[in-house]
Amino acid sequence: MSGSYKEIDYRIRPAKAVERKMLCEAFRRLSTFQKIENYRYIGLGSTNFMDFALLHRSLGVTDMISIEKEKDDHERFWRNRPYRCIEMQFDETTIILPKLKWDIRSIIWLDYDSKLDKNILADVGIVCANACPGSMFVITVNSQPDSLFDEGKEVDRLSNLKQLVGNEKVPENVEGSDLRQWGVSKVYRQIITNEMLEILSSRNGVLPSSHKINFKQLFNFNYADGAKMLTFGGLLYTEEQESLLQKCAFCDLPFVREGEEPYLIAIPILTLKEIRKLDGQLPKKAGEELTLPAVPIGDIEKYEKIYRFFPTFTEADI
Amino acid sequence: MPESVDPNIIEASPTKELFIYMLVRDIPLIRALIDLVDNSVDGAVRSVTNNNYNDFWIRIELDKDHFKISDNCGGIPIDIARNYAFRFGRPEGAEPTPGSIGKFGVGMKRTFFKLGKKFKVDSSTADSHFLVEVDVDEWKTDIKNWNFRFKVLEEGIAPAQIGTIIEITSLYENVSENFALENFQTKLIEEMKTAHSLIMAKGLNISLNGIPLSSKVFSLFSSDLLKPAFVEKVIDTGPSPVKVKIYAGVSERIKSEGGWYIFCNGRMVLEADQTSVTGWGEEDNLADIPKYHADFAYFRGYVFFDCDDAELLPWTTTKTGVDVDSRIFKAVKLEMMTLMSPILDFLRKLAKEKSQKETGEIEESQLEKALSSATLTKYSEIQVQGKFVEPEVVLLPAGPRMARIAYSKPVDDVEKIQQIVNVTSNKAVGEKTFEYFLKYEVNE
Repeated sequence: MSGSYKEIDYRIRPAKAVERKMLCEAFRRLSTFQKIENYRYIGLGSTNFMDFALLHRSLGVTDMISIEKEKDDHERFWRNRPYRCIEMQFDETTIILPKLKWDIRSIIWLDYDSKLDKNILADVGIVCANACPGSMFVITVNSQPDSLFDEGKEVDRLSNLKQLVGNEKVPENVEGSDLRQWGVSKVYRQIITNEMLEILSSRNGVLPSSHKINFKQLFNFNYADGAKMLTFGGLLYTEEQESLLQKCAFCDLPFVREGEEPYLIAIPILTLKEIRKLDGQLPKKAGEELTLPAVPIGDIEKYEKIYRFFPTFTEADI
Repeated sequence: MPESVDPNIIEASPTKELFIYMLVRDIPLIRALIDLVDNSVDGAVRSVTNNNYNDFWIRIELDKDHFKISDNCGGIPIDIARNYAFRFGRPEGAEPTPGSIGKFGVGMKRTFFKLGKKFKVDSSTADSHFLVEVDVDEWKTDIKNWNFRFKVLEEGIAPAQIGTIIEITSLYENVSENFALENFQTKLIEEMKTAHSLIMAKGLNISLNGIPLSSKVFSLFSSDLLKPAFVEKVIDTGPSPVKVKIYAGVSERIKSEGGWYIFCNGRMVLEADQTSVTGWGEEDNLADIPKYHADFAYFRGYVFFDCDDAELLPWTTTKTGVDVDSRIFKAVKLEMMTLMSPILDFLRKLAKEKSQKETGEIEESQLEKALSSATLTKYSEIQVQGKFVEPEVVLLPAGPRMARIAYSKPVDDVEKIQQIVNVTSNKAVGEKTFEYFLKYEVNE
């Protein structure tokens, strides 16, 4: 690959944009539990608040809280909110999360940009210990493998992982060689799942059988606009709500993943004109194939998989 | 026909219900599981004479429905099973097991009752085999009789496979829930490694659900310039003396791993201790040892107590701590502190050199250099000598005395200067502005 036209512009973060729309489409199905606009949304909006904007516009959610750890510059964040219904909470997630009211059904998306560590696992624990059934919990972490060498010496990736998350959280069968490429995402998924199961087990110990809370994995996204990222999440629900979960029919969505196998968001490199030409042929009829001369088949296939969520970027003089 | 009851008799015997309740109360689940592992390890120790455990294994299986531990560590002899192994408490006359870990005779039964309602012990030695199967609910219905029965009992035979299989089913709900969690399994593995790393390093294979455990390694930096300390003593306590070996020195700088490690008959009872138990940060002591902190993260001390009579060792009943009142431990602790003091002094010097290097007072740290050229050696392979030997520092001719200047200024101003001077670090801004002033305003 030589020409720069074949590369993605990281500044636009197209994979993230696709993921956001996919998650929004999945969240919509929560209306089986209660009216979606009555859900609360908790996220880490930073200065762009793109998830907040999307969920408010698409789903009508108004009860929104953005957690921001930046201690200074409160006013700047406040003034950048796209809609007035977004409440700001300024402090670390670990401090804010336990202070929130948890008797409201919520969509919680903790979109971190750092690697998995003890603090993030603690946040996972707080949510699992408190969120009410029918809540959706999603977490994004940076799963880029450590570079192989540091100042000439080979890096012990397993040791680094143990230091970050704690010895007792890393399953015994994980080896350094598992922490290459997308392997880190896989191991992170295991560690996060184990943490959730452990916390839920403790929470459930005192609950009657029908009220015990389970976690149903729905999202296992791997994507890389720059660094490799993992987005993992799903629904917290009680045994009593099993039928509601079935009605949501999450598994009808092509990007939902309930197990170890991830969904890789792969962004094709296409010009606007090429996108228009492909769109004209979509959705495909049975037996047909998409055609577009001079464009690699791989890119056509990638586009077909995600065309409904593909962002349209235009330059605008605003 | 009603039995004739003596009206003067007051019923005062314990109920099985109460007994089980009290027995399992104070022992945490992981501890109870490790008690069974200890028994297997004891069996291996009894069977080995050449310190090589390569042929021995312990396999543990657990999930939400069952627990099973099998080993090939010698098996349980019939008379031990009949008279001692299933008794509650160690009866007088039971022979001490040389070098054993399981000394209190309570472990096995306590674990069975803690885990579930059905247990099975199937054990074969070189010339015997037995099987005991107990349904606890059934056993409880017989108020008077506390005995178990052999379901199979064979003596004078030659079983093909020597060893023991213990299986517990009908697990209690809280046990079952724990067994289902991978995090619980990881914790159990960590504790097993802590307890039995030494014997695993000698070849004993332990696995959990098919995953083999790797042992922790205990090592110290060693070179011609840097030599770990070593002291060996024998404490005369009568027919079974207590042998003590102390190694002390420096290893990799990992804060959570620095400190003292205490072993009794090969089983680690204290890991990376940084408290006053092992002599850190006490007020009145002969060597003025400070509290543990990050500069001391290099420190490692390994103390090995060995004795044929396990009761004489300075450990607690749970085998997870040291009996601080033990006369033996108190005496050894003094030796530990004497060995530790010069090493901490070395580490203080090292920390000082490192910070001098950072402020630019010295070019490089000789101590740090000596440390990085030493090799990390397993404690058992170290050429032992006596007290800690630290590298000698060559005193360099003193350069000009330096003073440190530190101040804060608004970021915007600092960035403006950075642009003009064409540097990128705040440190460079400070240095360049100082040199500028010195050149134009001070120096002739």
